[in-house]
Amino acid sequence: MFLHNYIYRLKCIIRDKEFLFWTLLFPIILATLFNFAFSNITEAEKFTRLNIAVVDNEEFRQNTALQRAIKAAANSSGDKDQEGLFNIRYTSKEEGDKLLEDREIEGYIYLDNGIKLVVKESGLSQSIIKGFMDHFMQLSSTLETIIRKDPQSMERGILDKAEAAINYLKEVAPSKSSPDIVVNYFYNLIAMACMYGGFWGLKEVTVIQANLSSQGARINIAPIHKFKIFIVCVLAAVTVQLFEILLLLAYLALVLKISFGNQIGYIIFTCIVGTITGVTFGAFVASVVKKGEGVKIGILIGSSMTMSFLAGMMYDKMKYIISTKVPVIGYLNPANLITDCFYSLYYYGINTRFFINIGVLCVFIVFFSLCTYLILRRQKYASL
Amino acid sequence: MVIKVENLTKRYGDLIALDNFNLEVNHGEIFGLLGPNGSGKTTAINCILSLLKYDKGTVKIYNKPMAPDAYDIKEKIGLVMQNVAVFEELTVYENVDYFCGLYIKNKKLRLKLVEEAIDFVGISYYKDFYPKMLSGGLLRRLNIACGIAHQPKLIIFDEPTVAVDPQSRINILEGIQKLNKAGATIIYTSHYMEEVEQICTRIGIMDKGRIIAIGTKEELKDMISSGEKITVELFSMDNKILEDIKGLPHIVSAEYRDNSLIVRSSKGKNNLVSVLDYLKSNDIDFGRIYSEPPTLNDVFLEITGKELRD
Ligand SMILES: Nc1ncnc2c1ncn2[C@@H]1O[C@H](COP(=O)(O)OP(=O)(O)O)[C@@H](O)[C@H]1O
Ligand SMILES: [Mg+2]
Repeated sequence: MFLHNYIYRLKCIIRDKEFLFWTLLFPIILATLFNFAFSNITEAEKFTRLNIAVVDNEEFRQNTALQRAIKAAANSSGDKDQEGLFNIRYTSKEEGDKLLEDREIEGYIYLDNGIKLVVKESGLSQSIIKGFMDHFMQLSSTLETIIRKDPQSMERGILDKAEAAINYLKEVAPSKSSPDIVVNYFYNLIAMACMYGGFWGLKEVTVIQANLSSQGARINIAPIHKFKIFIVCVLAAVTVQLFEILLLLAYLALVLKISFGNQIGYIIFTCIVGTITGVTFGAFVASVVKKGEGVKIGILIGSSMTMSFLAGMMYDKMKYIISTKVPVIGYLNPANLITDCFYSLYYYGINTRFFINIGVLCVFIVFFSLCTYLILRRQKYASL
Repeated sequence: MVIKVENLTKRYGDLIALDNFNLEVNHGEIFGLLGPNGSGKTTAINCILSLLKYDKGTVKIYNKPMAPDAYDIKEKIGLVMQNVAVFEELTVYENVDYFCGLYIKNKKLRLKLVEEAIDFVGISYYKDFYPKMLSGGLLRRLNIACGIAHQPKLIIFDEPTVAVDPQSRINILEGIQKLNKAGATIIYTSHYMEEVEQICTRIGIMDKGRIIAIGTKEELKDMISSGEKITVELFSMDNKILEDIKGLPHIVSAEYRDNSLIVRSSKGKNNLVSVLDYLKSNDIDFGRIYSEPPTLNDVFLEITGKELRD
């Protein structure tokens, strides 16, 4: 019984070309277009390493912390994406002035009773160097305090932390196409694809309801509890949609080389929760909206698109604006919650923010399912 | 008693689709529900099957109250809907198998039943076709196979021959008779009186949500005053003759139009002879002559004052 229905629902779903387009092909096409657009941007505004100089005097030689920090900022760790921030030359002060004059360097660092940064003009490059120095000074003063109080703590650990912070600084360098924004577009795309799982939810409700399809009438006169069939239908829908999302994920990760961090288990978990959210959302729309199928599909596409827009899919600042001005909307937007799950996994690993997002998504799932149930529960129809 | 419906009333807003509808169907019958479009046939079927809510009345099937969760009743029923209700995504075979599987759990038995049903409606050749590739008539046959594969004891056909080619129509009508011979009780709705006359053992004539007459076709025809209809080709005519013919015994009405004299007689034999005797004895030349027994359309016409066909 279960298997009979499940297999036939799977067949019906995977042979539905129109809905397959929306749930699978459309997100993949969009991802390809995104990738094309972003690769052009990053080509044009590719982050180039900054040439700087450090005046190699006695004070610099004594400041091992700065030496380490600069080395860290200059080092490329071998990975192409992890290129260092600076090309460093060690010079005398006079040489530095000359290089600056000839625009061979953006600025030089000079230690003379403290750290000084010498630049010729102010611009993006200069503010990056300054950002780096400010960050270092903050760190080094903390370092000094710690060291003064407890010299034993002058261990590699602390210095490593300082380096990690420098690496972080490098990543958030104010390049327009900084990696976090690009990645966020793709995360958003997955969220949209999850919501498009609603197509299958809609299909399954339509099939089971006698007032929505003639096949539904046949199912309603069969000697089977309708809700049992519906559960099987939803399971089939979730199966196919999850498979499609994993295909999309594989396409993004393996073909377009989008980074998802390394929490693969949690990423798939997010996909599962997102998929169920999408499918139940479609079932909800199909059962609550009392209009033709065309209208329902319109509502489904429209609302998924709006959600994705508010989560920053077309305009990256949108997510930021919402989260600072009206954070509630962020929590009422399943697409944003799904996006944010990926985002927070990528940047912070497993954390409370991730679980809050998952929790709210589960609330949505329960809400959509409950509304659908209350409508499907009615066994006779007022009109067919 | 297979079905007993009492005082079924169904409203769609202000429109009364069923108005104290009563019906009894007995075991082994092919019961015909004959009525023009919009008379409430489909609504009646859907209410009987507990698909539709109704405002008043009771429905019993096999002596038990029918309800959406009366699964023991439901498994004995097969429905062939007015609209073709199959999945576009499934082939002919898969469609029949799917719907049959909602009734029959045993896989081996199901396999056999599905093959039989497909054979029965004569679409074995199209087993692997998708519904899109089938003609209207073949689709209707598939629709039937989906409704009867589980070998129900009670089968309801709701206008199964609308928009089908003559060959499919014959196949369908013969099939229904075969199912009946094999033991199934049939309810057959249609607005084609010829079909109903041809296959139904008892007929209910419906109009405006009510059954206005019920019985075998002979009983129905006996209910009305007019008997056979006689048509005589005549190339000239005057009022005197028309009045004379109207005055003949057993003649209910006579009119002359399109070079034809149309005479309706009351019940009884030899009415044709008396008309012809009159024409001969008055030396009136006439052409071809037809005599038709009364039809269900005449019954409908006499009771409602309008034609069954629209
Ligand atoms: N869903 C509906 N909403 C409103 N009126 C309806 C609906 N379905 C049928 N009707 C009306 O009910 C009457 C009976 O319709 P129906 O049962 O389909 O007739 P039939 O099957 O004899 O052609 C018609 O007047 C029709 O217009
Ligand atoms: Mg009808």
